[in-house]
Amino acid sequence: MGDDMKRGLSRRALLKTAMTAAFAAGLGLPGSAANAAAGSVATLIDLSRCDGCPDRDIPACVQACREKNSGNVPEPIRPIPEVFPRGGIEDFSDKKHLTTRLTPYNYLFIHKAEVEHGGKRWTLSIPRRCMHCDNPACATLCPFAANHKHRTGAVVIDSEICFGGAKCRTVCPWSIPQRQSGVGVYLHIAPTLAGNGAMFKCDLCHDRLLKGENPVCADACPRDAMLVGSRSEISAEARKRAAEMGGFLYGMEENGGTATVYVSPVPFTKIDAALEKGPGRPHMAPVQRRMAGADSWGKSVLLAPVVGLTAGILAVAGALKEPAVGRKEEDRKK
Amino acid sequence: MSRHDEHRVNLIRRHSTLEIVEHWAIALSGLVLIATGLFELPIATRYYITDLPGMAWAGDFIVSLKIHYAASAVFVAASLFHVIYHCLHGHTAMLPKKGDLKASVSVIMAFFVRGEEPPFHKYLPEQRLAYAGMAFVIAGLILSGLLKTYMNVYAPDMSITLVMWATWVHNIFFVLFVLAFVAHMAAIAIKPNRPLVRSIFTGHVRLDYARSRHPLWIEEMHLEQPAQGDLQNKEGEEAQQSSSAREEDREAGGDEAGERAPDDTG
Repeated sequence: MGDDMKRGLSRRALLKTAMTAAFAAGLGLPGSAANAAAGSVATLIDLSRCDGCPDRDIPACVQACREKNSGNVPEPIRPIPEVFPRGGIEDFSDKKHLTTRLTPYNYLFIHKAEVEHGGKRWTLSIPRRCMHCDNPACATLCPFAANHKHRTGAVVIDSEICFGGAKCRTVCPWSIPQRQSGVGVYLHIAPTLAGNGAMFKCDLCHDRLLKGENPVCADACPRDAMLVGSRSEISAEARKRAAEMGGFLYGMEENGGTATVYVSPVPFTKIDAALEKGPGRPHMAPVQRRMAGADSWGKSVLLAPVVGLTAGILAVAGALKEPAVGRKEEDRKK
Repeated sequence: MSRHDEHRVNLIRRHSTLEIVEHWAIALSGLVLIATGLFELPIATRYYITDLPGMAWAGDFIVSLKIHYAASAVFVAASLFHVIYHCLHGHTAMLPKKGDLKASVSVIMAFFVRGEEPPFHKYLPEQRLAYAGMAFVIAGLILSGLLKTYMNVYAPDMSITLVMWATWVHNIFFVLFVLAFVAHMAAIAIKPNRPLVRSIFTGHVRLDYARSRHPLWIEEMHLEQPAQGDLQNKEGEEAQQSSSAREEDREAGGDEAGERAPDDTG
């Protein structure tokens, strides 16, 4: 009995040692994807410069974006299939002209805010589009890999393989991607039962970035309110401008860091409070990265093979020792 | 001898405690993975699953992901433990043998057209093939899942080609895993296989069943471990001994020996 107990304890001790060793080895794992965006492109949007192009019907950046992306959304089929069982078709095909919010046909709009700050009234024009997060849940959680973060820094939806389930919009802190029902691959599979169209949003002109060119919105801006550069250049410039104007930054830390940094002479808490928010009109409140809470669980998965293999080896080693222990005990009794 | 004692002695150990733990760790975590994997599709809200009592979490992709990760850690660790432990021990009873495919066809035919089953080893030929198939599917799920997890945590800008492969292998192998689970349930629902079910809960099957359907296993055990206590009632005539004596015998080494020997000899 005593030996049995010893054996049991020693086996438990071995397993405990294996687990401890594996988790200790895991401490060497890097902490996060903080440097993943190190070599990528970032943009700075200076709200002290943007005036929303008051002399134009459509702001220059919005117009340039619409022209570049005008052919992205195919014409939806008619009638658009009903979505079983809840319904919920989203059809913007008769609202293509809308430029005051995000839609599947409009990936950039100017968000207006009237703010009192420092004894002065500010009228702010804020270009709004996808923030292109450093570790975007919209991309990593896409069940079909239809949305992806590229090395350029751009987060790009491939609408050809998107089912339009809108999971990306659900997990996006700003609900940026917009759905057009009646288009996309889901029509060829089970249109009423699975999927509901395709998702569309700004791709930071990924094709132009690959050629070393700027996004069209930045090039079109008549007031140089948008600056494009490497992550380190943009971070440094954003901090410099904020210091010069006694201003504030948004996007550096939001959702774990993004490739879009706003610099403003007015605090973003006041801007957020003044914004008209709703579908296609995102907030500007502080954002914690919700996926950060899942990262430690993910790391335990990455360590699990080491734990399993170590425990297996130690269990076999322990089992192989047992007959020898048993023999010694028998010899001692004799 | 009471009926209870008679019942207890007519048993043979088929699975060690460790194997039962391995099986249930993989099976239960696998079921959680199937459910939470499905909830990573935007279906829980659409199909009113979130309206079921206690299921509101199913509509939160990040909560589902955390549970998916937790179950994955168990699933991966248990699977790798299984592989290394049984490889190092040289356990081969579950591995497919030459002629298993042909033998499986005749066993299935025997069931459906009431023919004669051939004598079996510890595992049926189709069980060995199913094991290999399941191992392949699990390996695909683990490899693609680890890659996806690495991407989620450390490398969201991983090569799109790699991400596409990992995602679609994971999705396709998920479907195969569900089909394999359904086939597994169907196999244990078949009447001749039902006596095997108790062993995945208790570790034992009925000795009379093993003698009649798995005589090759019994034979192999006699050849390999003639003096061990794997056969809790080794031969019918031993049933004449007092049950208390057998209890002592079993406690002294029967169960422990059973954990090592019968599976190993296959």
